[in-house]
Amino acid sequence: MSVLALVEQIDGQVDELSLQALSLARELADGEPLTALLAGEGGREASAQLGSHGVANALVAEDERLGAYAPGAWARSVTDAIDRLGTGAVVAPGTVRGNEVLSHVAARLDLPFAANCAAIDERSPLTVTRVRWGGSLLEEARVHGSPALLSVAPHTVPAATVNGADAPSVESFAPALDENDLLVRVAEHVDAATAGISLAEAKVVVSGGRGVGSADGFGMLEELAELLHAAVGCSRVVTSAGWRPHTDQVGQTGTKVSPDLYIACGISGATQHIAGCKGAKKILAINSDAEAPILASADYAVIGDLTEIVPAITAELRKGREP
Amino acid sequence: MCVKRVPLTGGRMVLTADEQAIETRHLGFTISPHEECGVEEAVRIVEAQGGETTVLTLGPPEAEEQIRETLATGADRGILLAVEGEEWDPQATAGAILSTIESEEASGGAFDLIVFGNESADSGNFQVGIRVAHALGRPVVTGLKGLTVDGGRARCEQEVAGGRDVYDVPLPAVVTVLEGINLPRYPSVPAKLRARQKPIDKSSPERPDSRLEKLRLVLPPGQGKQAEILGEGADAAPAVVGVMRDLGVAP
Amino acid sequence: MLIGALALAAVLAVSGFLFVRRTKLLVDLVRIGKPTDRSGDLPERVRNEAEIVLGQRKLLQRLVPGLIHAAIFWGFLVLFPTIVIAMIGAVDREATLPWLGEQGWFALMVDVFAMLVLAGVLGAAYIRKVQRPARFQGSHLGEADLILALIAGIVVTLLLWHASRIALGLNEWPAGWSPVSDTLSGLFGDGGATKVLERVFVWAHVLIILSFLAYLPHSKHLHIATAAVNVFFGRTSAPGRLEPLRFDGPEEDMRFGAGTVADLTWKQTLDTFSCTECGRCQDVCPAWTTGKELSPKLLIMALRDQVFDEGPPLVRNAEGFEATPLVPNAVSDNVVWDCVTCGACVRECPVSIEHVDHIIDLRRHLVMMDSRFPSEAEPMLRDVERASNPWGKAQSERADWAEELGVRVLEPGDPAPEILYWVGCAASFDERARTAARSTAKLLQAAGVDFAILGPRESCTGDPARRMGNEYLFQAHAEQNVGTLNEAGVTKIVASCPHCFNTLGNEYSDFGGNYEVVHHTELLAGLVREGRLETNGGAGTVTYHDSCYLARHNDVLADPRELVEAVGEPVEMKRSGKRTFCCGAGGAHMWMEERGGKINEERAREAAETGADTLAVACPFCTVMLDDGVRQRGDDLRVVDVSTLLAESLDR
Repeated sequence: MSVLALVEQIDGQVDELSLQALSLARELADGEPLTALLAGEGGREASAQLGSHGVANALVAEDERLGAYAPGAWARSVTDAIDRLGTGAVVAPGTVRGNEVLSHVAARLDLPFAANCAAIDERSPLTVTRVRWGGSLLEEARVHGSPALLSVAPHTVPAATVNGADAPSVESFAPALDENDLLVRVAEHVDAATAGISLAEAKVVVSGGRGVGSADGFGMLEELAELLHAAVGCSRVVTSAGWRPHTDQVGQTGTKVSPDLYIACGISGATQHIAGCKGAKKILAINSDAEAPILASADYAVIGDLTEIVPAITAELRKGREP
Repeated sequence: MCVKRVPLTGGRMVLTADEQAIETRHLGFTISPHEECGVEEAVRIVEAQGGETTVLTLGPPEAEEQIRETLATGADRGILLAVEGEEWDPQATAGAILSTIESEEASGGAFDLIVFGNESADSGNFQVGIRVAHALGRPVVTGLKGLTVDGGRARCEQEVAGGRDVYDVPLPAVVTVLEGINLPRYPSVPAKLRARQKPIDKSSPERPDSRLEKLRLVLPPGQGKQAEILGEGADAAPAVVGVMRDLGVAP
Repeated sequence: MLIGALALAAVLAVSGFLFVRRTKLLVDLVRIGKPTDRSGDLPERVRNEAEIVLGQRKLLQRLVPGLIHAAIFWGFLVLFPTIVIAMIGAVDREATLPWLGEQGWFALMVDVFAMLVLAGVLGAAYIRKVQRPARFQGSHLGEADLILALIAGIVVTLLLWHASRIALGLNEWPAGWSPVSDTLSGLFGDGGATKVLERVFVWAHVLIILSFLAYLPHSKHLHIATAAVNVFFGRTSAPGRLEPLRFDGPEEDMRFGAGTVADLTWKQTLDTFSCTECGRCQDVCPAWTTGKELSPKLLIMALRDQVFDEGPPLVRNAEGFEATPLVPNAVSDNVVWDCVTCGACVRECPVSIEHVDHIIDLRRHLVMMDSRFPSEAEPMLRDVERASNPWGKAQSERADWAEELGVRVLEPGDPAPEILYWVGCAASFDERARTAARSTAKLLQAAGVDFAILGPRESCTGDPARRMGNEYLFQAHAEQNVGTLNEAGVTKIVASCPHCFNTLGNEYSDFGGNYEVVHHTELLAGLVREGRLETNGGAGTVTYHDSCYLARHNDVLADPRELVEAVGEPVEMKRSGKRTFCCGAGGAHMWMEERGGKINEERAREAAETGADTLAVACPFCTVMLDDGVRQRGDDLRVVDVSTLLAESLDR
């Protein structure tokens, strides 16, 4: 079927998760045309990068009112695009905006929407595997509606490239926006007060759970994090206990992280938490309990007292740095 | 405020024999963390500006337990759409919630604010709040970490990279909130006792056909992964640093 | 004589008036206290009165100060008739108490006990002025000095009066029977000066006594009236049992715990009146010992001050008066939360003050009414409520520890086992506590005991919630567990956690759960004695740490020691048995942060100082806390449960 893929970009740079979604979109298209839809400033520029991801055509929605993000306006762009192309499916990345926009599209068109899909099981009738519980459980579901609306769960599908593909042909259009579409839009942007390594973007995260014992106990984690240029995270128990702010919380209802290395200190590994860190390339668990659930999700583990292990790692790292 | 009863899962998922649900026989239940914060937010707004909070849920009859919890936090009344058996897909859920809201508003006037959790902890479909808002023709802002209601308008804040995006919408409106927007209170025992007396209206809607039809649930592969033990205690530090070097993250 | 009579009457009237007026206030303050049932168990109450008051048993727990006090106390009992004699003699120089006043043996007793009292006073003065023990920190020392001076004054004037009477030949008793007075009489001639002095001494004696009488209820010395009553109405039920609250009353009555002085029970008010500021409780309090704000003595004193401050308007029903919150006005939040409910204070207190009950009631109000408690404990309370265990783990995983051991999990409808092994949340979910559960299960299997566990149907007994003051949550769990146990037909339970043991055995009976509950060390010791379990030595030197909830709250001391002796060479710590020093996890402290010095490290230090190889414990909390303490300090000490030592010995 012909597929429309919603692609997100910032300042002309395509977002990684959109590239992952494109892989699934291409699989769904199965040879038929794959059109990318971009909206907002920088859409045209970004479209050039999409050739190597199998996109033949790029539709760029242009309107000066698309400057600030407005979910309704993006939804309008999608529905207009669907009308123009007669697509069989729309695929978006399972980001905050991707899910929001497709939910709007689903509401407008009275269609089912399968959010956070990880795989296509069958094309006709369309059956998908979607993610539940932040990734700890999967659901196989049949989508009864056309066009099918899907979003792709982050970090479940690799962003595959195609060799020797040309840049896509670009067509721009102006979506028929009305004032309702623009009622909800970003009015202002407030910069974050603190600088520092953002949890969501860090390459390494040092995270602490109940086993750290107290707010002060995080001192040694902070020391290790500083050495590794890492962000400090925590589990939900820690925020509920008031030891760290919610902004540090990693988990299904906190921040979902995808670092190269996630170090879980004194975290037992409830599914709630794993949902937040399974995007990590590698997970190292430091725990006194050899039977803790986290070991079933970790790549490496050290068993023992974290108050001894963490400083030892810090010391070992420092040793390596001395001339 | 719309909430959903979800189980408190532990370190691993266990499915029922028919693969249609999680085995919840010995699990505790709660409402999703996003929704807990939503209830707290609603109650705070009403405490500051007057009014009434109604909590609605679509779920099994046992979900009354969850409504009572929200009543203890300070909500004034509850509505339980009691359903049993097959799970309701998000479109059907939104439809049932919509009908209930419409009949409530017909008799009691419009809700200034309808609050949802951003997504439920279990099925995570992201769409119920938006569908309801669209059907009611009201603006909807999602993923809130900050909310201020004043003079018939709502100032809504989302956390994005580098700071916060702010939306300003007129009431009546629909919002979906994220955990972290506030710290829910610990209800006092008198509040819990009083909650037992607050009214809960119950009804049992019929389930329409699923358009997002759940076939079965599957455990993700690799759940039996066993970590490579690098060592015990502080002696493992060199091995850990070795791994860090291999991954390219050591300083 | 008439003048004398009139003078005495006048002084009696004034003193009596002051005494009665003040006493009336005290009685009224006690009367407005909330009700609490301290009736029943009459024989035990009488026995306590005899042992603790007459026999000074608790005071003698510290031998020398105890003997000093006993001397003064018994002295006063014996000397009591001399007050009457003195008053008679003050009015009529020639008269005395008929018969008693003439008895030689009585005169001898008077002399001897008067000297004992004097010795006691001097001893007390020495302790207070020269030794200056730390337990007096915060006490009103000036008041104590005055009281000692008055007591000394009373006996000195008595002896001198007797001496002068002997010198004047006025003694109705044979002088030889009162050697001290007789000897002193040598100081006096028989002339006019002595006649005057004799009057001076008797009137001084009477005046000191009567001013003491008036002063008494205005000072901490009022304990001599209240203590006897407080001891009589002291707890007779298990020390580890807390008094339940009712939640089914009308809305207006919804006040739980002690928020203001108006919420105190009459026993609690009486407690505050009985405190003599001796500081023995302070000395043994683990919180105070590790530099925290809580001192049980200062707590009771602060409550007493608040009762005197805000009680009188309540007695008078003063218009528009509202008592102010006890926390933080009289008592700080830290003081309330520092307590580990170890009960060392209650054990030491010579006048049966129940400090732990005060703390719990303060906590009940803070938690159930104000939601005002350390935030780090909130996850625990929410987890107990929703997940049925304080760690928020899935109950479905509760029996995982037993998987490989083939332990029978009791399903609904199964026949009840001979004994149910109540594992507890800690042993089910904490890796260090799990070893004890595995060892216990293996031992029970080896001994051929017919047992089973409830597995996922075993939910938290509610002890941490109750100790935090969340009585409502506790009762919900109690009722649920009693339902499960009764339905399963369980009659006998063995628990490896002393907190579970205490709650199941002592507290669940208030909710319809009546079971025979033993601690695993009791059961195992019994099996060893019966020969169903063999033991081998070889565990090296072992020092055994008594858990507060076993030793102090429940008198389980001998059985664990039998087991330790069977496997190794025991060496005792100084603070052992009922004098044991807490590990620091009680009172829900397993889930709260500790400000200040670490109780567990203090205890680990004590254990390490015995030089033993192994520190044996009988409680999952003690296991974790002391293991942490040992690791923090870097001691070379292995912390292990008694059951594991036994299991290891079996393999030898």
